[in-house]
Formats: sequence, structure tokens, C-alpha cells
Amino acid sequence: MGAAAEAVSTRPRRRPLTWRRTRRGAVPYLLILPVIAVLAAILGYPLYQLVQLAFQRYQLPELIAHKGIYVGLANFSSVLHDGVFWHTLGRTVAFTTVNVGLTIVLGTLMALLLVRVSTWVRILITVGLVLVWSMPPVVSVQVWIWMTDVQNGVLNYVLTELHFGNYFQHNWFASPFSELAMVTSLVVWGGLPFVAITVYAALSQVPHELMEAARIDGARAWQIFKDVTLPVIQPVLLILTSLSILWDFGVFTQAYLLIGQAHILPSNYLMSVYLWEEAYYKNDYGLGAAISILMLAAVAILSFVYVRRMLKIGEVDR
Amino acid sequence: MRYRVIAAAIAALALGVVVATTASASTKSHTLVVWLQVDAKTGWPKVVANATAAFKKANPGWNVNVQYQTWGTHLQNFDAAIAGNNVPDVIEMGNTEMTKYMAAGAFANLTSYKGKFANSSHWLTGLTNSSTYNGKLEGVPYYAGSRLVTYRTDLFSQAGVTKPPTSLAALETDLGKVGSKVTGVPGFTPFYMAGTDWYSALSFVFDYGGSIATFSKGKWVGQLASTKSVAGLTAYKQFFLGYSPHSAATLDEANPAPYTVYGANPGRAAAIFGPGWYSCCTGNYKNVTGQFLMPSHVPGQHMTSWLGGSDLGVPKQGHQQAQARSWISFFTNSANEKALQKVGNVPNATNLFDNSLNDQAAKKSWFVPTAKHWVDVESGNVIRHMLANILTGTPVKQAAQQADASMNNLLNQP
Repeated sequence: MGAAAEAVSTRPRRRPLTWRRTRRGAVPYLLILPVIAVLAAILGYPLYQLVQLAFQRYQLPELIAHKGIYVGLANFSSVLHDGVFWHTLGRTVAFTTVNVGLTIVLGTLMALLLVRVSTWVRILITVGLVLVWSMPPVVSVQVWIWMTDVQNGVLNYVLTELHFGNYFQHNWFASPFSELAMVTSLVVWGGLPFVAITVYAALSQVPHELMEAARIDGARAWQIFKDVTLPVIQPVLLILTSLSILWDFGVFTQAYLLIGQAHILPSNYLMSVYLWEEAYYKNDYGLGAAISILMLAAVAILSFVYVRRMLKIGEVDR
Repeated sequence: MRYRVIAAAIAALALGVVVATTASASTKSHTLVVWLQVDAKTGWPKVVANATAAFKKANPGWNVNVQYQTWGTHLQNFDAAIAGNNVPDVIEMGNTEMTKYMAAGAFANLTSYKGKFANSSHWLTGLTNSSTYNGKLEGVPYYAGSRLVTYRTDLFSQAGVTKPPTSLAALETDLGKVGSKVTGVPGFTPFYMAGTDWYSALSFVFDYGGSIATFSKGKWVGQLASTKSVAGLTAYKQFFLGYSPHSAATLDEANPAPYTVYGANPGRAAAIFGPGWYSCCTGNYKNVTGQFLMPSHVPGQHMTSWLGGSDLGVPKQGHQQAQARSWISFFTNSANEKALQKVGNVPNATNLFDNSLNDQAAKKSWFVPTAKHWVDVESGNVIRHMLANILTGTPVKQAAQQADASMNNLLNQP
């Protein structure tokens, strides 16, 4: 090695030292090696086990015996031939669309409001948003349950007192649609703060002079938003939409706890609840693994368009 | 020289540590892990304490760690414990939950130890059946609970009803009188029950001679659409829609718990249908509360009552099964069963019955089909869904046929 270094140092500087270059080139990889190792352990290994499980029959007897039975694609076949799976998928896509749409639209509106109001009001609203964001889902579900209680709920009381109609002992969970509507209200409420505050930060990038010029030229509010504001905040909105799709497609806590185990039925299943019922309640872990892999594929397809657009914008900016 | 002294000191220290740990290991205490439901913690903590004290006396060097579970999560916790080789030594299971786990081989065979448990020759048939699989005893009956009516004696006598009704028709007439006499309480109902409370609703089905499902020619066949069952469901629909609030048609019996509707101020129900221990929680109406058995549509008889209950199992993967059986035998001895009876439960043996309403109801009881996958029918809310449909307008026979179809699917899984 010493002789080679000597030989190289006497030559003209056309090729740099190979071993030093390799060492420098290897440094980034060495630096991220600990992270990769941890991720492989925490995410990779369970993912590998999950895929293995999807090809096995693993129900309660197998759980007790700690040994699954290899059944090939039987789990996938069973799921894909089950009408409940397709209905649930459709319902979850519709649910995700409504939730993401409401969250992004209402969040953006709130961010636009935050720009307009005075400092004190802005502080108040922001504090409120942060408090909403910090509330654990399980706690907010319990508050929702109390508020919508048939006998003693405050929602029924307030609506009746304000003469919106007779809501005395109104049951807010009487049909699958109303159950999912209540879940939507809770999920959108919980997701608003993140969108509102992020978009508010993004709105600071919009050049004020451009907006003023447009206003002077007689453009209306909606036109200003569409032509000036939206292009600037588009990357942020794309990120938020992708994240919201991921979160809302797989939402479990709010749906399961708010509807309640005693009222969970195929007619109000969301994908994550359907997965829970099949895998954990009915003890069919192999089937559950197959469903989760299919869920992953569905979410990938749903968010593909947004992620691709995000990457394209990134390329243009570089 | 100095280093040799230090090395010698370290060696001595190490030796001392080894000796100390070995010494403590030989006198280390063993722990028995017991999973009970929170009902024991709130309802009869002394019974648990008695059993533990007696067990520790008979098994010196042993501790008992009682971990309380909730009905909604304890099965998933048990599954996780099985997967992690960390099973409790004793576990309380609902009587409808036992079959699936027995069929999967989760519990140890207790048949040869049956005689060691108190009153085992007089155990309630219903509970014993729920603890037996393929002729092997794999659980010990713990306690049972039946259903009866808890009512406001003051409101009933205000309406001129001084004795409990002896037929369903008479009950309906009485409830009508009670309802018409009560004014000024918004949302008042003569009889509060949750529409999807199948423990109460199916009593009507059995009252008319119907049943849930039968096993014939190697297959389970749902019977809720049979003529007799449909008659019972129609009678239930008529009773509910006549005397219970329609807003409760799709609710279950936990949200709200009927005794909260009854006992809160103002009391919004003159009568509720539920377990005998509802008498605990009558709030302001403690002194004007009575109970009677739900009357049958046949005058002079009472309706067959749901017999809920729990069994105690010893998981097969446990390594301390002898001590587990010992603890169970202390927990279910006559004195403790009597104590359970005092707080409104049905003891596990008929020789301990004292002719209370609870015990009378337990003598004429119905139970769910002892199918391996029955618990999937429960968790799939098949019967609840059927009841909600019936009470919100779906024709009875149609709803019952849908339920039968679901049950046939679920119960006949391999």
C-alpha cells in the first residue's frame, strides 16, 4: 500500500487516490448505517414477518401451537372474492375523499383567515388549533360520545334550544351514514390544525406586491387566490394531501371507538376496522396480513398521482 | 503486590455476589398470575382477597398477582399472551367465549381434578356445559347472572298496580297505566331497554318456543326465521315499540347503561330489564325499587332468562397448573360463592341457591349454541343487527332470514 501511494504521488494529478476516494465515498453510507439498522429491525423485520404470515393459515389453533400452515395465495384469493372487501374498499375510498377534501379546503380557509385577522385573534386561534392538535384521539372520541349522547348529550340540547328543530333524544348514530358522518366530523376536526398552520406558513411565501397589484387591477378574491396564491402554495398542498390520504385511509381509532364494537357491522366497515375484525376479533391473522398488504397497495395507488406530481415539482425547482 | 491485593478483593466480591444471588434464588418467591374481570374489583373485592389469603397460607412462598381485565379487550390480551408465551396461570372467560378457545386447545384438562372443587357435583348445568368440550372439563364454573325486571314501586302503585304482573299482557297493560300517570318528566318511558340488547330480547324468542340455531346432520342451522322464533321476535317488537323509547332502537345495553336512565335524577324509566345487580345503582330511588321476574306470554309463568356467567380456565401453556387449580378451588369455595350471591349474582352450584329471584330465574334459562365459532357471531353483531333492523321497520321474517344466513356462514366455518 505504501509503495502504491508513493508511486501515485509522483505521477501527475490525473487520477486521485483510489483508496482515499473510496473511503470518502463510503462515509455517507457509514453515517446512515445505524439508522438503516434500526429501521430494518423495527420496520423491516415485522414487514417480512407480515408478508410471510399472509401466505399462511394462522388462526387460533395455530397461534397456540406457534406454527402456521402454508397455504399459498389462499388468503388473498379469499379476500379478493369476498364482497365485503370490495364494498369496504369503495366505502373507504369515498370516506377518504370526503375527509381529505374537507380537511384541505377548511384548513386552507382557516389559514387564509389567519392571514387577515389581527395579531391577538390570530394568537387565540392558533392556541385553539394547537390544543385541538394535542388532544389524544381516544380522549376526543370520549368527548364526542358524551356530546352526542342520546339521553343527556349537549349537542341535542343546544340544537333544540337554538330552535334548529326538535333534537330531543335524537340518535346521532342511527344509520351507517350517520355513524360515518360523525367519524368524519371528528377526523376533520382533528386534522384541521396541522393543515391550517402549515398552509399559513406557506402563505407567507406569497409575494404581497403581486397580490396588491392584482387587486388594483380589479381581480376578484377568488381570481387572486387561483392565479397568485395557489401556484405558490401548491407544493405544500400536495404534501398535505398525500399525508392526509395516508392518514385518513388507514384511520382506526376514531372509527372503531366512536362507532363502538357493539355497532361495528360490514355496512359501516372502514378498511382498518375490517382488518381489525378479521385479524384480531375473529383470530384469522393470515387473512389480516393479506388484507393489510392489499391496503398498502390501495393507498399506494391513491397517493401515486400526488407523490409523482410532488417529485416533478422538485425536479423543476432544482 | 498492590495489584494482587486488588485482584483478590475483586475475586472475593464476585464470589460474594454469586453466593448472595444463589442464596436469594433458593428463597425467591413464586408468583401466580390471575386474570379476572373488573367486575370482581368493583363488586366483590373481599372474595378475591379471601381466596388469595387462603391460597398463600396453603402454599407458603407463593404470591398472587391479580390483573383486572375489561370485557372488550381481554380476549385480544389473551391472544397476545399466548403468542408471547406469557399466559396467565388462571383466566376468567365469559361462558360464551370458552368454546372457541377450548376447541383450539388453549386450556388444560381438569376432568380428573373435578372432585377437588367445592360443590362440583351440583354445578349449574349451563355453566358446566360451557366449560366442557368433547367430554373433557376444561373450566371451573365461577358465577352466573340472570335477567329480571327492576321497577319503581312508587310509580306503579301511583298507577294502581300493587302486585307484579303475572303475564306479558298484564305487564303491558300495567306499563300503559304507569306511563299515562307520569307527567312533567321529559323523555319519560314506562320501560327502558336497549333495542339491541339481545340477552333480553331473545328471551321472547325462547318464550314462544323458538331457538337460535340447532345442530343437525353435521351442520349448524340458524332457527331465528322459524315460525316460533318469528312469533317471539314479533312479540318483542310489539313490546319494545309500545313501551320503550324509539330513540333506543339501535342502542346497546352498555351505552347508556339502563340503570343510569332509571336512577339519574329525574328517573326517566319506571322499569328496566337487566341483571339482578342493577339494584345497586338505583340512585335516588333506592327505597322505592323492587324486582320481579319478566312474565311470560303464558299467564302464571315467567320468561326463560338468559344465563350469563363466567368460567375459570387454566391455560395449557402455563407452568404452574397445580397452584392455579389450588387458587381456583379456594376462590370458588362455598363461602365465597355465598358472598357472590349476596351482591346479586347466581352462585355456581344449585345446592347454594336460596330461592331469591335471581336463583329462580337461573333455574329456567337459555344459552347460546355451543358452537366453536359462536363467539364470531357475537363479535359480528349478527343478532344485534337483526334486532335493530326489526325495530326500525324491516319485516321480522326478512331480518331473521338475513341473520340465519350470516349465522350459517359463521358457525359452519372449518
